[in-house]
Parts: sequence; structure tokens; C-alpha cells
Amino acid sequence: MLWLYLHFPQLVLDHIRRSREDQGALVVVEGSGQKVVQACSEAREQGIRSGMRLKTAISLAPDLGMVRADETREARILEDQARWLYRYAAHIVLVPPDGLLAEIGSLQKLYGGLLAVWQTVEQGLNERQLNASIGIGHTPLAARLIARAGKGECTADKGHILRTLSQMPLLAAEFNEKACTRLRRLGLNTLGEVFDLPSGELARRLSPELLAYIQKIQGTRPDPRTPWQPPHSFRQQADFVQEIEHAHGLLFPLQRMLAELEDDLCWRQQDTDSLRLVLRHRHAEPTRLQIRMSGPEHRAGNFLNLIHLRLEQHSLSAPVISMVLLVKRFLSREAPSGQDLLGETRDLNEAWHTLISRLQARLGDQALRQLSPQADHRPERAWSAAEVLRKTGTPLMPAAELPRRPLWLSKSPQPLTEAPVAWFSGPERISGGWWDGQRVHRDYYIAQLNSGQLAWVFRDAREGWFVHGWFG
Amino acid sequence: MSELLNTLMRDARVWQGHRHIQTTQPAEPTGYQVLDNQLGGLGWPRGALSECLLDAPGIGELHLLLPLMQRVCEEGKSVFWLNPPHTPYAPALAREGVNLDQVVLIHTEEEGDFLWTMENCLRSPVTGLVMAWPGKLASREVRRLQLAAEAGSNVCVLFRERRYAEQNSPAALRLELEPGEQQGLKVNVLKRRGSWPGQRCSLAMAQRADLSSRETTRTIRGPWSGSIG
Repeated sequence: MLWLYLHFPQLVLDHIRRSREDQGALVVVEGSGQKVVQACSEAREQGIRSGMRLKTAISLAPDLGMVRADETREARILEDQARWLYRYAAHIVLVPPDGLLAEIGSLQKLYGGLLAVWQTVEQGLNERQLNASIGIGHTPLAARLIARAGKGECTADKGHILRTLSQMPLLAAEFNEKACTRLRRLGLNTLGEVFDLPSGELARRLSPELLAYIQKIQGTRPDPRTPWQPPHSFRQQADFVQEIEHAHGLLFPLQRMLAELEDDLCWRQQDTDSLRLVLRHRHAEPTRLQIRMSGPEHRAGNFLNLIHLRLEQHSLSAPVISMVLLVKRFLSREAPSGQDLLGETRDLNEAWHTLISRLQARLGDQALRQLSPQADHRPERAWSAAEVLRKTGTPLMPAAELPRRPLWLSKSPQPLTEAPVAWFSGPERISGGWWDGQRVHRDYYIAQLNSGQLAWVFRDAREGWFVHGWFG
Repeated sequence: MSELLNTLMRDARVWQGHRHIQTTQPAEPTGYQVLDNQLGGLGWPRGALSECLLDAPGIGELHLLLPLMQRVCEEGKSVFWLNPPHTPYAPALAREGVNLDQVVLIHTEEEGDFLWTMENCLRSPVTGLVMAWPGKLASREVRRLQLAAEAGSNVCVLFRERRYAEQNSPAALRLELEPGEQQGLKVNVLKRRGSWPGQRCSLAMAQRADLSSRETTRTIRGPWSGSIG
């Protein structure tokens, strides 16, 4: 087995930098807000070092961006990285807080050599603007130590890996403090000198745990790791150092998140028809937006257009400190079907979904309606309005059996205020609804009013006259 | 003559009183031969606005568009009803052979949304017909809609009140609708692109309520007892 270790020295900083348009100095501050834990390269150029007091750092760089260290967030960001790495390697292990392990021995054949694997991972890192050092080792711990020391080399040679490890100072080997002091007192300075000691002596003089650790580095003791399983949903979060006050400020980070979504969907070979966007505010309840498509979609550009429309309609209630994009509903991709020779049907289908999605995004889901007749004698219940759905090939109702009805139906019956000039047909008695309490007992007539309009009028049980529709 | 002028002449965008040009602009037959004849054998212009000006619904204005609606649905294109004054009655439409799967009803709340929705519908290739009841429209807005209509190639009919008849409008076809004899519909062409306006015709619309001519001569004594009016 061969392991590849990715060490992210400033994962949180990289993560935040990606959703920022300006590139100012950034630091991570420890939980209590006293000390700088990490500083980005811009901050380091201005003289800020990790371990420095925050007050000193601010006096060095007055417009410093600050992020509070947060373990759950770090774990989440690490998992984000595992998700993209999963596209290249199947066996991935999370090493919190800042490392990822991937088994690559089995991948060499697929990619055509170790170098190709290395380059693929490096390209993935560059695309995501992540700072990481790569290490390769024959054991997980060897890969980790090499990566953390920044001595990664693209080789699968066990002897070479052990030689690299041997030259490492004891401090880089991550022994616990007590063991480290004792080894130094024995006059040992490098890891190689520890490797040379007989194992029995090592266990007796120091501790069996230390021996186990060393054997795990060398590969003489098994070091099983449980592989990480990717979740069945898509989740991306952008955290902002400066609160975003205007909706258009969200579009820049959204572009990147949606591009990742498109990538993810391409890898899954799936589409989605609804996105959830959660905007978190500092002092208010998070805003939740549901963006729905009328059909399956995977292209980032289309998602962005719809979200853009939606954000135009809803101005932000409060400044946003972070934004989460969630997709939980996946649809399998449809094989193109029902095409005619020119392939027009499919284009129309797509254009239809685009148009309806756009309209729904701006006007709301309730603004668009599709009508259908219902089996009921009462005119106001003989039709229904439902959400718009693309239906194709549904056979027409046996239309001739339907009774003659006007094309316009009033939203509610309007009182008849004038005597009609002519009567044409009637009465047609409609009586029903005793079963659900909406009782109707009416005699319908067709009559012409003075204005020339042809109306559908009725007299109900209470002897009142009403107009219920117009023959348009 | 320059290319530009030729195009203007051919599309009948410049009105010439001394000759009637057989225009080449695309159009959809209305389904009423009498009306088609009055419109130079064409019908509803495609890729342009049409206006129907009428006082009140219920005079046969939907039946005027019904043949086109049926044809558009058969072709698999959509019919959009934008802010209709009453509910289009589904059983009646189904009876007339309109495929309801292609009919989409849209209600817009805000004024800006109306124009935006219209423009989007007009530009889309899935749209066959847009019927809209806009309420008040400034002539600048009608112009905007006309431009959007030109981007697509579908029929767009605005239903407006008759008092706008005097107002100038960039629509390619303007029809004034009035109730006529025997429940018919009187159509008065106020404007059409490339020719003289002023044609009048009357369309028989009594069939919309199953009133044959025999029945209309027979006076049914209503149950009217003088309780109203």
C-alpha cells in the first residue's frame, strides 16, 4: 500500500480567501480572541506572526481581517476537501484538523504512474487555490511526517522514504513531549538513530506505545484506518470576514459554489431540481431560500440566473456572515428521448423549463397555474388550478361529452343588476354538494345583457339572480 | 434604392397610401375567412403586437382567438394567459379542443413584473400565443413590448379598453370589437401594417352558446318576474 498525505497548513484562511473579492491581510485568532494562531502571506509580509498578540497585529495592519478559530468549522472545511479528493481516490481518511490521507497504491495503474497521480492531485489543489504540501509514504504515518516536514517527493521506493525519515529531527516526528525529552537525553537527535535501536530495548527503556508508534512509521506493525464515506448530499459553505450587506455581493462566492455543484453533479451523473440557500446573520434568524427549477438541471449558469432573480426580489433583511448551499434532492439524468429527426423536441423541452423556472423564480410558485377540468357538477368545482408541470403525450379528455359552458367564469358569482334584454336557453338545473356542505341549488340560463354581453346567469334557491360567467 | 430602404418598403414599415403592398410579414390565419379577407388574406401578425379593444368581456372575444389557440396547442407550443379579468374556464376550453397542458395562467402582482413576464414569454421559442390584459399601459411600454414581440415569432394579443382606440399605438394590428347583431361580433380594423385601415366585418359568434339561428328567432319567455330592475 502506498499513501498520499495532504497537509493543509492554512485551510481556514484558504477557505475564506476563496469567497472574497479583495485580497487583504487575514488572520485566524484563537477562541478567546487574544492571540493570532495563523496568518496569511499578506499578513506575514506586514510582520504579523502566529503567536503574536492580537493588539500588536492590529497596530501593524489596521485593516486586518479576523476569523475566530472554530473546531466544527474546521472539521467541515476539511470534509469539503475530502469530497473533491474522493473523485480521484476511493480510500480516503480524514486526519483532523488539517490533513487528508488517500491510498494511492491501487491508483497508479489507473492514472498511468505515480507521477500522474501526483500531478492530478496538485492540479486539483491549484484549481481550488489551496495551499497544501504533499507527502508520499509506504505507511500512513510516514506519509504524514514527510508531508508535514514539507519533504514530499514523488517516489514509491521504500528505501528512499525511510532514508528521508531517518534524516528528520526528533521534533518533526511528533513524539509526545515526555518521550521526546527522554530520547534527547539518550543522545539521540534524528529519527534514523531511533530506528536503529533494537526494538526490545526501546520497549523496555521507554514505553511499548512508543515502540508501536515507531513500528507504525516503519511499516512493521499494521496501522488500519477507517475510510471516509462521502455524504449523499451536497453542501458548500462560504464564510465572510466582512458582513455582506447587498445581495449582489453574494453572487461572487455563489459563482464558485455553483461551479463546484455543477462539477459534483457531473461526477454523480445526476441533476437536481431544487437548491436550498441559507443566509446566516449575526443577530437574526437565518434566511432560508428555496430555489426551484421546473425541471432537472445541472448547469451553474442557469442556477446563478435563477438565484440572481430571486435575490433581486428579496432584499437582504440583515447583513450576511455566512452562506450555505445545500442540495439534497438528486434526480437521475434522463436519457434524451422523444427526439424528432431535427432534435427540436428536446430543445423546446429545455426552453420550456428555462422559461417556467425564470418566471417562478421572480413571480413566486403561486403565480403560475395550469388548469384542468374536474368531475363535479358544481361550476366552481368543475375546474382546478395546479402547479405547472410539463406533461407530454397525455390524451385529450373526451371533450364532446362536456356540457356547454362559458369560456369565462367569474371568480365568484356577481349579483345581476339589470334585466337582460334577451333570454336564450334554460333553465339548466344544477343541484348538488349536499355531501360536503357546499350545497348548490341553481337554475342556469344564458341571457344577453343590454351591453351586448352574453352572460351565464343563475337563480339560486334564495331567489337571487347572479352572473356566473361570460361567453367570451 | 438602398438595401435599408428596400427592407423598410418590403416589410411595409413605411406606410404608402398610393399602393397596397402584398406584405411578406409572417402571420397566422385567424380561422375566420371573413376576417382574414379584411386583413389582406393574412391574419394575426407573428412577431408583432396585436390589440383588441373592447368594452366588456363576453362578446365573443375569446372565440375570435379560439382557432389560433387550438392550432398552437396542437403544434405543442404554449398559450400564456397573463392577468385575465376572469378565470378561463377549464371545462369549456377542454370542450373546444384546447389542450390544457399547454395553457399556463400567470398572475403578476407588481407593475414591473407584468412587462418583465411579457418580455420573457415573448422571447421564448416555446410560446405560441400570449394573451394579456395589461390594464394601464404607457405608450412607451407598448413600444417596449412591441420590441420584445419582434424578438420572437409568436402571436401576442393585448386586450385593452375601447377608450384607447383614439390613442396612438405601435401595435401592428388594432381591432375594435363590438357586439353585433344576433350575438355576433363586429370587428373594426383600426390599424394594420402596410395598408389602409377602416375595414369592417361581422362574425357570427352565436355558436359560442349553442344558439342556432332557429333558436335565436324564438323568444324564450324568461322566468323573469320583474323582481329586478
